Parts: sequence; C-alpha cells; structure tokens
Amino acid sequence: MTAVRCVDLCKTYRQGDEDIKALDHVSIDIEEAGFVCLSAPSGGGKTTLLNAIGGLDMPDSGEVWVADRRIDQMSKGELAELRLSSIGFVFQAYNLIPVLTARENIEFVMQVQGVPAKQRAEQSLAILEEVGLSGLEDRRPAEMSGGQQQRVAVARAIVSRPALVLADEPTANLDSKTSDELMTLFTELNRHHNTTFVIATHDQRVMRYAKRLVRMLDGRIVDDIAQDAA
Amino acid sequence: MRMLPVLTRLAWRYLWRNHRRTIIMVSAISVGVWSMIFMTALSRGMVDQVIEDGVSALPGHVQVHNPKFLDDPSVVNRIPIGDAELSRAFSSTDFKAWASRVRVPAVIASEYESRGVTLLGIDPVAEREFGYLSYDDVEGRFLEDADDNGIVIGRKLADKLETRVGKRVVLMSQDPDNEIADRGFRIVGLFDAEVPAFEEGNVFIGKRTAQKMLHIGDTTTEIVFLGDNYRDIEPTYDKVLASIDGSLDVSRWSEVATYLGSMLTVMDGFVLIFMVVIFLALSFGLVNTLVMAVFERVREIGLMLALGMKPSNILGQIIIESMLLLLVGLVIGNLLAVATIHPLRGGIDISVVAEGMEMMGAASVLYPRLYVSDMILANVIVLFLGFLASLSPAWRASRYEPVEAITKVG
Amino acid sequence: MNIVARLAWRNLWRHRRRTWLTVGAMVFSNTLLVFMISMQFGMYDLMIDNTLKVFTGHMQVQAPGYKDDQKMRQTVPDIVPLAGRLRAEFPTEKIAARGWAFALASSEERSYGVGIFGVEPEYEPQVSSIPGLIAEGRYLQQSDAPEIVIGAVLARNLRVGIGDELTLLGSGRDGSFAAAVATVVGIFESGVPDVDRSFAQMPIVAFQDVFFMEGAGHQVVISAPTLEEAERILPDIDAALPSDEGLVMHDWDALQPGLKQAIKADMSSAFFMYGILVVLVAFSVLNTQLMSVLERTHEFGIVMSLGLKPGQLGRLVMLETAMLGLIGFVLGAIGGVIVTSYFSANGLSIPGMEEMAANFNLPPRIYFQATPWTMAIGPFVVFVFTLLAAVYPALRLHKLHPVEAMRVN
Repeated sequence: MTAVRCVDLCKTYRQGDEDIKALDHVSIDIEEAGFVCLSAPSGGGKTTLLNAIGGLDMPDSGEVWVADRRIDQMSKGELAELRLSSIGFVFQAYNLIPVLTARENIEFVMQVQGVPAKQRAEQSLAILEEVGLSGLEDRRPAEMSGGQQQRVAVARAIVSRPALVLADEPTANLDSKTSDELMTLFTELNRHHNTTFVIATHDQRVMRYAKRLVRMLDGRIVDDIAQDAA
Repeated sequence: MRMLPVLTRLAWRYLWRNHRRTIIMVSAISVGVWSMIFMTALSRGMVDQVIEDGVSALPGHVQVHNPKFLDDPSVVNRIPIGDAELSRAFSSTDFKAWASRVRVPAVIASEYESRGVTLLGIDPVAEREFGYLSYDDVEGRFLEDADDNGIVIGRKLADKLETRVGKRVVLMSQDPDNEIADRGFRIVGLFDAEVPAFEEGNVFIGKRTAQKMLHIGDTTTEIVFLGDNYRDIEPTYDKVLASIDGSLDVSRWSEVATYLGSMLTVMDGFVLIFMVVIFLALSFGLVNTLVMAVFERVREIGLMLALGMKPSNILGQIIIESMLLLLVGLVIGNLLAVATIHPLRGGIDISVVAEGMEMMGAASVLYPRLYVSDMILANVIVLFLGFLASLSPAWRASRYEPVEAITKVG
Repeated sequence: MNIVARLAWRNLWRHRRRTWLTVGAMVFSNTLLVFMISMQFGMYDLMIDNTLKVFTGHMQVQAPGYKDDQKMRQTVPDIVPLAGRLRAEFPTEKIAARGWAFALASSEERSYGVGIFGVEPEYEPQVSSIPGLIAEGRYLQQSDAPEIVIGAVLARNLRVGIGDELTLLGSGRDGSFAAAVATVVGIFESGVPDVDRSFAQMPIVAFQDVFFMEGAGHQVVISAPTLEEAERILPDIDAALPSDEGLVMHDWDALQPGLKQAIKADMSSAFFMYGILVVLVAFSVLNTQLMSVLERTHEFGIVMSLGLKPGQLGRLVMLETAMLGLIGFVLGAIGGVIVTSYFSANGLSIPGMEEMAANFNLPPRIYFQATPWTMAIGPFVVFVFTLLAAVYPALRLHKLHPVEAMRVN
C-alpha cells in the first residue's frame, strides 16, 4: 500500500517578471513506513511538493493521493480534518505557538481533535518522555533551546500517531549534534510506529538517515535511489 | 463549542503577550464604559428628579378630569359626580391611594400684594399618601381635615405677599356662575418645597371649605390615584378606566404633563446615543488593536491552520480575544462607575447653577441614579457592537492561506 | 521635504490600516466635536435671544429690591419722562417704560389671574417680541386708552374675543382695591403656552390710573443692537440715571439668572462628553505610537549605533505623531465643516424634542452657529492631546541601548 501518490504534478509561481516552475510534471509514490528525503537546492521544488502532499498548497494540475484519498480536490475544511487526523508537520522554524507551554503545544492538536483531558495529559507526558524532554513540559517556547523546540514540534507531530509526518528543513536552525539527535529520533519513530516520514532538506547529514533519497532540480525529480540508512 | 476552552485559553494568553497594548486598550475601554455609566447616572438623576418633582407637583399618577378641564381649568368644568357617590363607587376597588380635590386658578391677596396661584382644596387625610408635602415639616401646622378653615401657603409666596403665619389673606376665584367667589383665610402654615415654582404657585385649603367657597356642593375638579411608582402606573390606569364613568377623561401623568413625559423619552434616546457615540470612539482603537494582534502572529495563524485548525476556529479565536479584552475593560469600567457614583449618592451640590436648574425644573442638589438597566445597556452595547467591530479583523485573520502565512517574512 | 520629515512620513505608512484607523478615530471625534459645539452654541444664542426678546430686554432700570420681590410699591417714579430722557440721550438703544401688576381678569363667564404689563404702545414693539405676535385684532395705540391685549390661551380660557370687555380686580400701589374695565383689542400668540396663558398688556397711562401708580412704573427696558453693545453701554446709561432715587441697573444675566446657569449646566455635561472623546482618541494614538516604537526597536538600535541620539529619534516619533494628528485635524475639520454648514443652512430638527425646546424658548428647528472658533476648537484640542499621547513612547527611546535593541528579533 502506498502512503502518498503524486501523479503528474505541476505548479508555477510568478516571482517578479519571471515564471518559476516549482513542480514540473512530478510523479512519485511513497510506500507506507517509508523514510524519504527530498533533497534539492533552494527553489528546487521540495517545499512545494511537501506542501502539496500536506494539502497546504494546491498544484495547478495533477493528482495527490494520501492514504488512498485524493486530496487535491478537497475543501479547506476536509483538508483541515485530514491534516488533523492523519498528517503531522514539522517546519523549519516557528513551529510552536509561543503563548502555550511545551505540553500545551502538544495537547493543542489533541484538543482540537477532541481527545479527553485525561488521555491528553497521559499521551503528552509520554510523548515528551519519548522525545527526551521530561521535566520541560511547563516551559514556553521562548524558554527552550532551538533543539528542544524542534523536539516539541516533533512530539506534537507524532502524538496522535499520524500515518504520515512531513518535515520541511527540520534541522536548518540546529547545530550538527542536535541535528543528529533529531534524525535519530525520526528514525526510531519510523521503526517503532511504522510512521511514514517525508523530509525536505538540503542538509547532507540528514540525507544519510533516509531509506530513500529523492533529488529534485528545477521542479523535476532527477534522481530516486534507495539507500541503507545510517 | 468543543473548541471554546482551547480557543479561550489561546485568546487569553495572546491578550497578555503584548501587555502594554492590552493595558492601554483596557484603560480606554474602562474610561469609556465608566463615562457611559457615570454620565448616564448623573443625567438620570437630574431628569428623574425633574420628573419626580414635576409628578409630585401635580400629584397623582393617574388623574381623572372633566374632558374640558385640562384646556379650560375652570370650576365650570368640574366633575359632575359628588364625593359621596365616588366613595361608594370606589369602595370595592383596592386603589393604593386615591383622593378627589378642588384645583382651580385663583388670586391671593395680602394687604400689600396680589398674586396668581393654584388653589388646592384637599382632604389632608386622604392625600397624606401622595407625599408631595411632608405635613410635619410645615411651619405652624398643615391642614387638619377637609373642613379646616385655615390656609397653608409656600414660604416664598409669603415673602412676596409680605405676610406670615397668623396673618389674613383673601382668596379670589370664580363660582360656576362666574360670580367672584372670595373668602378671607388665616394663614396657619408655611411650607417649603424643593422646586421654587411649587412653593410660589400653590396654596392649600380644606376641600369642604373650598367647595363651600366656590358653591359646588360636594363635587370636585379632579380625582387622583397613586400607582406603585411613577414609571409603573398601567395597572392603576386600567383599574381606574374600569371603575369610572366613561364620559370622564382618564389620563396618565405623562399625558397631563406632556413636557415631563417627553423628557423621559428624550432621556432614554439620549442615553442610547451617548453610549453608542462613546463606543464608536472606542471602536477605532479596538479594531486597531485586533488588526495589530493578528498582524504580529500571521505565521502562528498559518501554523494552526497547517496543524488542522479550521478557519472558523481562527475567526472564533480572534473574536474571543476581542470579547475578553472588552470584558476586562467592562469589569473595570463598571467597578469604577460604581466606585465613583457611590460616594456621590448623598447628592452633588450644584447650587451654583441652581436657577438654571430651576429653569429646567430641577433642584439644586443632584442625586446620581445608577440603574441596573442602564448598566446592562452599556455592557450590552459594548459587547454587541464590539462583537460587530471585531468581525472584520477576525474574518481577515481566518482567510490566510497557511503556506503564505507560514512563509511570511518578518 | 527634508530627510527627517520624509522618513517620518514613510514610517507613518508602513502600517496603512493602523494609521488609517488611528486617523479614523480622530476624524470621528473631530467631526463630532465640530458638529456638537456648533450646535451647542447655536442653541445658546437662540436661547438667550429668544428668552430676552420676549420681555426682558438686555437691561432694565428698576427700584432697588424689585428684581427679587416684585412688589407693587418698589417703583421707578415718573417713569415715562425718564424713559423719554434716556431715549434722547441714547438714540441707538431701544428703550421703553413698563409697569407690572397682578389682577384677576373676569369675562362674562370666567375669571383668571393674570400678570398685567402697562406699556408704552409706541416703544414696546422695539423691546419685546409680543407686539409683533398679534394674531387677531391690533396692538395698543394710545397710551391712555382703556384697552388690553391678551394671550391666545387666556382669550380661549376667558372665552373672549376682540371687542369684549374684561373686568380687572387687583391691588393698587398702596394696597388699596383696584378695579377697571378694559376692552380686548388684540390677541397675541407666541406659541409658548405659559406666556399665552398668563400675560396681558395695557397702555401705561391707563395702567397707572387703574393701579394708582401716580406716574410711576416698575421697569425701564433697554435693548441694544447686540449683546456686546449692551454690555458696553450699560455703565453709561447707569451714569445717566437720576442720582437721588437710588435706581439700579440690571443686566440680562441678573434679570434671567437661570439662563446663564442653564447654559453652564448644559456646557459642563457637554464638555464632560467632549473630554471623554478626546481622552479616547489620545489612548488610540498612545497605543499606535507605542506599538510603532516597540516594533522598531531593532531598527532604532541600528540607527543609534550609527550615532543618532535618543532625543533625535524622539523628535522623529513626535514628528510622525504630528503628521498623524495633522491628517486627523484636517480631515476632521473638513468633515465638521461640511456637516455644520449643512445644518447651519438647513437647520436641524430632532423629532420628539420640540416640546423640550419650547421650554427653553427654542424653535423646533435649530440652526448651527458656524464660526472659525466653534469649528477649530475641538480639532485643536484633539491635536494637542494627540501630541501629548506620543510623549511616553518618545521618552521610552531614552531607555534604549543600541546593542540590546539590535538583539531584539
């Protein structure tokens, strides 16, 4: 079964006087429990592809399927519902809601989903432990380091056990040691929970962890190789 | 509804993220709300007093006259039903208080001066409840019964007539045949009144003395009834209508004194306009605050959308934030209003403008009146219009595209 | 425009919506202030004018004590010659003599107490609006004829018309019984029920005969072309009064003390509301400018590290505020002028207010008084408070340290 299927996606942006082809007839299948790195230089189209998979952005043409549901024709409300139930996000920065504590940030999604308070508390504390942040649950984002913040973001992304986690340059603001820790965490989660990871990055160290490496250039997939993860 | 606790917590936290802005806005709302309630209490105090004094100067919340009497207040246009018959007619109805009285224009003359006055022939026992005069505060004594032969006049009138308790005055009016009806009286009492015009313009004699003087048997010119209070007279009005001869004119006080009646209406309109104007002045700041609050967290809104929050939740969050801001301002504003009005309940001395107040029919001490209904009105106006004002910024906030919002630079 | 001014102007438009909302608050308040103040002063003028022109005039010569007691024997002796002499000395003023008494007026069917003015038929029309309000018949002509004009409500109540006779009963100057018969020659209708119900006028010489006045009266009424002129000429007329009789001169404020006080009372409640409006605008500006300073902390840090002093930055903030205030001032004043000139041309009538207006001698339709002062004062005060509101944000700049400031964001 495929977790994600993209068929012939096209997306063009206008920047100044220039048309930029962010996606140029992109087709890709991502298997369940996959661990995929999308790598491309800046403007290569990886973020656009990621956003299209997450239903954050609509392609101009083509089809996007997530868990055997076609999402490129869904309404905003349906997309929101889908993201809430089946997709976790980790962004490059500004991942957390600054007025909420670590634990509240994690519980936020569950709360929106309507999970009862007791279950929320249990799950959020468990997941904080899993990402190695026990004891920091009452800190606000401003009181945590960049790595800690990203861990909270990961915890939030996986707390409701989504089938798919999309991460866009999750290590861009982290030093190498912290990056490694984060990627190790991703790998473990992938292994233990069979969660599909799609990570957009241009960080070589991150690519090492991928089971499958997809290279993009100017909106096209130029390379798609399976590799032994680090 | 499920989202309400989440959204409320978020809104509350966001409210205090930029505490300086929130404090400024809360101050503005508090001042605005305080001014709405404070100003209304003062105006209400003044107008209520004018109306209450006015109502007590023409005592009786519901009045019955000969239909021609109000335009032509002559003894000719009296009520053709005698007192004996009235007592029989009303014996079965439980009026709070009622009285029949002779009320006609007259001239009073001392040995030096004459003045025009309203002659009130009353039964002091039946009218005690009407409360327009405290019988015990009269210098000398008040009338004792309907057969009293004395006269009680206002102190100001006595000054102008150069007379005093114990002296004689002559009252002149007309009888039903337009013969001059006059009679000498000994002044037995002088009264003081809040409103100078009442003190100068009314003289009291016994009802039966007046009936004898005017040769009208046991008839009178008006029958008056007391309601529970002057704002709530409809039950009494209906009862009177049901129990009185249909050819007579039954009026509420607001119809007898249309000026006072219209004052009440104008006042209600004024209060509403004043509150709305103050709110409008506030609304610019409110919208501005919300616009800024949205602007500085566009990215976070994008994040919430990306995480699966629906646009309607974003809309709700901003509106809740606006409501919380208003609520904090309202609480402080209301407390402030109560705290400033309470010490003034003993009255504000405005005797510097006493004669101006007299021109408006008011006394020289102003008692603020804080009505719960006015407070509720102010709060409802602020919340309701505040809700409307926050719709636009909230709507805009909910329309962001998650990608654009997240990738927004700055 | 120099570079600082240009910088200030550009900064102002970095947040268009915010700037317009702040300006909007100013424009709203300014327009409202211009509107209200113009209406208010238009109303006051009318109140004064209409009240004074009914009976009072701008000033009166009276016997001492008459103003408060209005007793018959507090008289001005030889009042008609005195009025004549004053007329000759002050040709620009309108001057007329009057007596006043209270009497019971009886027709065939009814009797009512009325106040009776003895007036000079020739001169009374110059100091009072009543002679001009004759709705039926004519005004008085000869000063010794036994004629009387009465108000419309009184005529209706007494059931008399033109040509009918009224019997007057009252007390004379010495307290003795006074009685006379006079023919109704005219009926006036002022529209104010109290005036139309309670007054009558007869020629002064006939009045003096009826009430044993022996040539005396109670008031010499003087009307000047304008209120200001009245205030200016009062001392001159006072000096021209016969010195031996102790006559006193009262200006309109003394004669109608309620008037100025009613205006004062109304003003204080109006100014309370204006004050609140101004304070709310000031809060709005304070909020905007404080935000604008705080969000530029980083930027200010850079400029300060380049050598700009906090004071200079403070001036920049004040300049921005002044520009903001100026836009609000100009737009608000324009809005106010448009609204006001419309109402000063067409008048404003508020449904339901007619009766209250009549109580203050106001017509049902109010024309605004549009002067540069009434138009400018509101917006000006708002402008001043706008600048004051920016002082705190500007002073905060002094607490800024360049390095720390740059670390923000």
